[in-house]
Amino acid sequence: MTASLFLLLPIALAFVVLIGALFWWAIFAGQFDDARSAGESILMDDDTPLSAPGRGSSPPARDARVPPGD
Amino acid sequence: MRAISIFSTPVLSDSERHRRRHMLARLGLAWLAMMQVMMFAFPGYVRHEGMAPDNLELLDQAIFLMNWISLLITVPVILYCAQPVWYGAFRRLAQGQISMDVPVAMGIVVAFIPSAWSTWAGKGEVYFDSVAMFVAFLLTARYLELCARQTVEAGGANAQLEAFRTSASARANRAAFWFVSIQVILALVAGAVWWFYIDRSHAVPVMVAMFVMSCPCAMAMAVPSTVSAAHAAAIASGPLNESEITSLVETARRVTRQNLYGSVVWHLLMTPLAAVGLVAPWVAAITMLLSSLAVAGNAWLLYRRWVNRAGAHAWPEAAAQV
Repeated sequence: MTASLFLLLPIALAFVVLIGALFWWAIFAGQFDDARSAGESILMDDDTPLSAPGRGSSPPARDARVPPGD
Repeated sequence: MRAISIFSTPVLSDSERHRRRHMLARLGLAWLAMMQVMMFAFPGYVRHEGMAPDNLELLDQAIFLMNWISLLITVPVILYCAQPVWYGAFRRLAQGQISMDVPVAMGIVVAFIPSAWSTWAGKGEVYFDSVAMFVAFLLTARYLELCARQTVEAGGANAQLEAFRTSASARANRAAFWFVSIQVILALVAGAVWWFYIDRSHAVPVMVAMFVMSCPCAMAMAVPSTVSAAHAAAIASGPLNESEITSLVETARRVTRQNLYGSVVWHLLMTPLAAVGLVAPWVAAITMLLSSLAVAGNAWLLYRRWVNRAGAHAWPEAAAQV
């Protein structure tokens, strides 16, 4: 039984280190920086057709209708 | 301002965002390490001398192994997660002052060194779970405080609320200084009394519990959390006239007083219990977290009540903005 502990406990430790490293990466890669706009982007979608008549050839900026944040 | 996730970083300057990210990393890693160390500490709690000899031998082997792993996990918690504590404690001690970080630092050292020694020697009690819990809960309170401060800095600050904050935090800091000094002395005295007169094996847990208790996290959060809740309420309810601002400042003063008195009452109740050895270090850490969360919750209630009162007629306007 002790032998299994010698195998399982280092595996547990390795998982902790791996999860900690992933969490660290996620924070400094900016994954937590903006938790809201990705969820709202589907509601704030710009529905104007790109080739609408009379709008000229240059489409409006992608998020022109997204109101500024708080 | 709408409530957003406290884990996201709102409109902040680069250096502030970097600081916030580091605090979030410290907080998350401390909680992760805490849960692991608690799990590895569990066999130590089920062990008792009445067990069958071969079971006891097996359990002792497992405990020995798990103590080493707990030690490995606790070292980064102390070196990285608890960094603000070391900086804060040494900076103020170099100036000949006692800050709130001093008892925290002493609590960590007093719990960690005997535990590391027990792990090395292969016998005796370890308190790695208490250390990890203490650091994680302390960082939770600090993180909430940092969020509250950064929210005030990002949103336009109301001049009268700022004046209130300056005077209130000066008073709260003075009170906390005396409180910390008295609590550190009490912890040392209680530890010495247990060591020399009562029971040596209880001296370390009593002292650790007293140091954990002496951390005035709730007191340190009382003013910033209330003031930032009041700021958020002022921003959410739109332009306020003179009498409304006066009443908001009055409300903030009342809530701050509740928070300060509440945390003092908690200290006065828990310190004697810890001194007679009735409070284990991890229980002390949990009550510390609860008192900090109570302070934050009370500040949040101020915001809710104020916005609900002002929100009855402001609602159509807000709906039009969406």
